[in-house]
Amino acid sequence: MPRDDVAPDAVKIRLTGVAKRFATRDREVQALQPIDLTVRDHEFVALVGPSGCGKSTILNLVAGLLAPSEGRIWYDGEPVNGLNRNVGYMTQKDTLLPWRSAADNVRIALELKCRSVPRAEANARVRQIIDLVGLNGFERHYPAELSGGMRKRVALARTLIYQPETLLMDEPFGALDAQLKLLMLAQLQDLTRLRRMTVVFVTHDLGEAITLADRVVVFSARPGRIRTIRDVDLPRPRDVFRIRFTEAFARLHEELWDELKDEVTQGTDV
Amino acid sequence: MSQSIRIATAPNSATAPLVRFLETAPGRLLARLLLALVILTMWQVLPTKGLRFWMSGPVQIIARLWSWILDGSLWPNLGATLLAMALGYVIGTGSGIALGLLFGLLPRLHRVLSPYINALYAMPKIALAPLFVITLGIGIESKVALVALTVFFLVLNSTLDGVRNVDRDLVRSLALMGATRIEVIGKVLVPATLPWIFTGMRIAVRYAFTNTLLAELIASNSGIGFMIEYYSGVFDATGTYAAILVLVIMSVGLTEVLTQVETRLSRGRS
Repeated sequence: MPRDDVAPDAVKIRLTGVAKRFATRDREVQALQPIDLTVRDHEFVALVGPSGCGKSTILNLVAGLLAPSEGRIWYDGEPVNGLNRNVGYMTQKDTLLPWRSAADNVRIALELKCRSVPRAEANARVRQIIDLVGLNGFERHYPAELSGGMRKRVALARTLIYQPETLLMDEPFGALDAQLKLLMLAQLQDLTRLRRMTVVFVTHDLGEAITLADRVVVFSARPGRIRTIRDVDLPRPRDVFRIRFTEAFARLHEELWDELKDEVTQGTDV
Repeated sequence: MSQSIRIATAPNSATAPLVRFLETAPGRLLARLLLALVILTMWQVLPTKGLRFWMSGPVQIIARLWSWILDGSLWPNLGATLLAMALGYVIGTGSGIALGLLFGLLPRLHRVLSPYINALYAMPKIALAPLFVITLGIGIESKVALVALTVFFLVLNSTLDGVRNVDRDLVRSLALMGATRIEVIGKVLVPATLPWIFTGMRIAVRYAFTNTLLAELIASNSGIGFMIEYYSGVFDATGTYAAILVLVIMSVGLTEVLTQVETRLSRGRS
């Protein structure tokens, strides 16, 4: 199916009856109850829910790092079997190479044969993306010399530089301070819209989810189920610095928070 | 350290200048030379005629070494030892690293073979020396075989330790970017394993040296170990001591080279 023919609301990712169980030493843990979820092309979907509800598991399943215990996962109409190389995955843990400087970590995707880029162009793109995530002056630092938030930004730059058509992000901005987080949200919104990316964004911050997403999926506590899916009909482009003070935002936030708070309180005494 | 010693002895004003002198570089050197002179003089003058046959004397030993240098008979033996050691080291290191990385890539193969490898690793390789002598003769081949085998298992095990310690998430994140197997090896597996490989290689140098000598002592027709064995066989104490002196000089030289290489490497990495 040629990409050009895909209608704007064509399905990018589809999960049908997908469940995941993990075997631990003495018992089986149900991480995810059977769920159905569809992500459209160019859509920004945020997954929120209490910790341990299987949000990260969904990303691992879509990336093909895990196989589902039940159900099937489709990407571009094809079943996901093994690694899904169409996605860029920014995991919760930054997987930077400790022996490479920040700039060299960002560059690594452009060094691979499948994305090989002339040296001069690679340098220019590295400089540009480092600038975008605000890491000027830290290009030659090694991951061990950077703060947690800086490492997150290096990982973000590394994922963005090769322009994957789909972005999977697992709490990418958890370690950033509030101001920087807003700045990063703004950059992420601009970039994903400019490049017409499909994004699945896992977060525990409801405000962040509403600010960015076209749809917010609220999960229940473990074993994870989809509790509710809500369209975010705030107009785009959104001003990430001000949108949280608008009435529409507040209404959405309150509505979704009501859904979420039962699960959070449930989740904590598990 | 020196501070606390000085405090302990300071009240005695008579010894204070001497202690202070010993803490300077020329003072230390002088003390060392003096100690050597005392011991060597005692060795030279004290033994009676009977004892002289077994103990020889420093003057005779140095004279013998000098005569070996003058008539050139030292060099073939020195060369034989160094060549056997170097060949065995290179072969053992190369195959150890290669197999270690291969096992890292094919963990199932490693799991099948690991009991045998562990058994061979635990076995003192010197026990095989007589076997090598009857199969490969008393030339350089049997020495190289013993050294290579010893070094091989040392380096194999440290490489395996390194491979086991590679962060799987780094491998997965690169694979998701589209890296081929070869690229994963070159960009993650090898650099992450390198410190472990270096550790194994460093330890292996001493084992290679010791095992070359052991092989020469057991049965051979050249080398410093052969000289020791030969001269003690003909009850020539002077020759035996002169050969041991060569060995001492070689060990000091080897240690010095290793230290130099290590400081240069660690400087390069930081």
